[in-house]
Amino acid sequence: MDVFDQVKKAICKVQPGVDESKIVLSALLDDDLEVDSLGMVELALALEDAFGFYLPDEELEGITTVGDIVSVINSKLKT
Amino acid sequence: MFNRVVVTGYGAITPLGLNVEDTWQRLVAGVSGVDYISLFDATDFNVKIAAQVKNFNPLDYLDPTTARYTDRFTQFSVAASLQAIEDAKLKIDDTNRYDAGILIGSGVGGLSSLSRQLEVLNTRGPVRVSPYIVPMMIADNAPSQVSIKTGIRGPNFSLVSSCSTGTDTLGIAYKMIKYGEIKLMIAGGADAAVTPIGIAGFSQAGALSRSTDPEKASRPFDAKRDGFVIGEGAAVLVVESLDYARSRGADILAEIVGYGATSDAYHITQPLESGEGAVKAIEFALADVNSDKVDYINAHGTSTPLNDISETRAIKKVFGNKAYEIPISSIKSMVGHMLGAAGALEAIVCCKVINDSIIPPTINLENFDPECDLDYVPNVARASDVRIAVSNSFGFGGHNSVLVIRRYSEC
Repeated sequence: MDVFDQVKKAICKVQPGVDESKIVLSALLDDDLEVDSLGMVELALALEDAFGFYLPDEELEGITTVGDIVSVINSKLKT
Repeated sequence: MFNRVVVTGYGAITPLGLNVEDTWQRLVAGVSGVDYISLFDATDFNVKIAAQVKNFNPLDYLDPTTARYTDRFTQFSVAASLQAIEDAKLKIDDTNRYDAGILIGSGVGGLSSLSRQLEVLNTRGPVRVSPYIVPMMIADNAPSQVSIKTGIRGPNFSLVSSCSTGTDTLGIAYKMIKYGEIKLMIAGGADAAVTPIGIAGFSQAGALSRSTDPEKASRPFDAKRDGFVIGEGAAVLVVESLDYARSRGADILAEIVGYGATSDAYHITQPLESGEGAVKAIEFALADVNSDKVDYINAHGTSTPLNDISETRAIKKVFGNKAYEIPISSIKSMVGHMLGAAGALEAIVCCKVINDSIIPPTINLENFDPECDLDYVPNVARASDVRIAVSNSFGFGGHNSVLVIRRYSEC
């Protein structure tokens, strides 16, 4: 499973009501997927479970889209 | 001139059914909702039975994301509230959003959610704890979810008075409407404490029956009673001023005509033996009603050795010799003790008794206790023309709360 698919899976886990077809790289987490501030923390926990590393709050600052998350994960995986 | 306060709708999720009508039919039939605990593995517990809600699907009432982030007691609350609102044919829109409020209480709140996150905290550390734990465990998540779901924008809040919670929410809603602070309230109670810590806690306090025969375990007023059976669920009523109900053409189911609340000032779990606090609560609730006219008492009747005696004493003190003529019953013999939901379901039952002219029985009443010698409508429902019903609720901490419900008539 590539990074996007794992991110998509994590979003579906924390937002079970989400329309999966809306989860695309350009999707806005808040407006398109209804992930609010609490949902962001829950999503970070799910991503940490999926990828096995810790995502400190500062690394998630400024994230607005699904693509942003994929970028953060990809850069973490390279280090 | 104070407002008259009427009931126009109700909803419930109980161990006997997922709505009021199914629950009521089974109560009248004398069916027990008590069974072996299936919500968790109770092998190592002294208490292995409870009155659990069965086959409840939160997705019938909530979207999947909200369902994931709400505790079971909140899910029950939303379900019962939506049923009550539908029953009352209440439409919430821009003309009345601020005329309606919500008061739903819970004795213990989101125990199972808290337990799960404590496990996460202890095994994986603080930064693994869900950010949703606070809203999931606080009691006022129930009314707040109802507000979000319905668009009601009047006050929404919760109150906690352990086993009296459901009666107190209705009493306070009644007063708010009576004194003109609001036109309509969604009021009731909910609990979902059939969890390891809930069962262990109540059991260690000596409150629960250790019977291994589920259907026989809850036996209010019976000489062989040995504690209550924990139940779960929610019950919610739509309560409004008579004027408002008339203005929107609502069907009126009953009228609330009194509420009394007192404290024992005595002990954190035990009731005052003399029943004095309960006596005062009943008397205060009957302030505007002739006590000779009371023709049904829905007892708190927990099936604990202490409650059933002190409640009986209190009833005798208030009603004198007439106490022997008033039919009294405890539905806890069938639904167990639904904690914060109990008083609200019992208020619904009083409305049903008044409208259907039949009193549900106290089941498992087989062995005479000389200290419990009133007419508890043993084992079989009884046809009876009831115009005024009194509902008693007492709780850990010395709460005594009483509601008086009357058949509605125009004058």
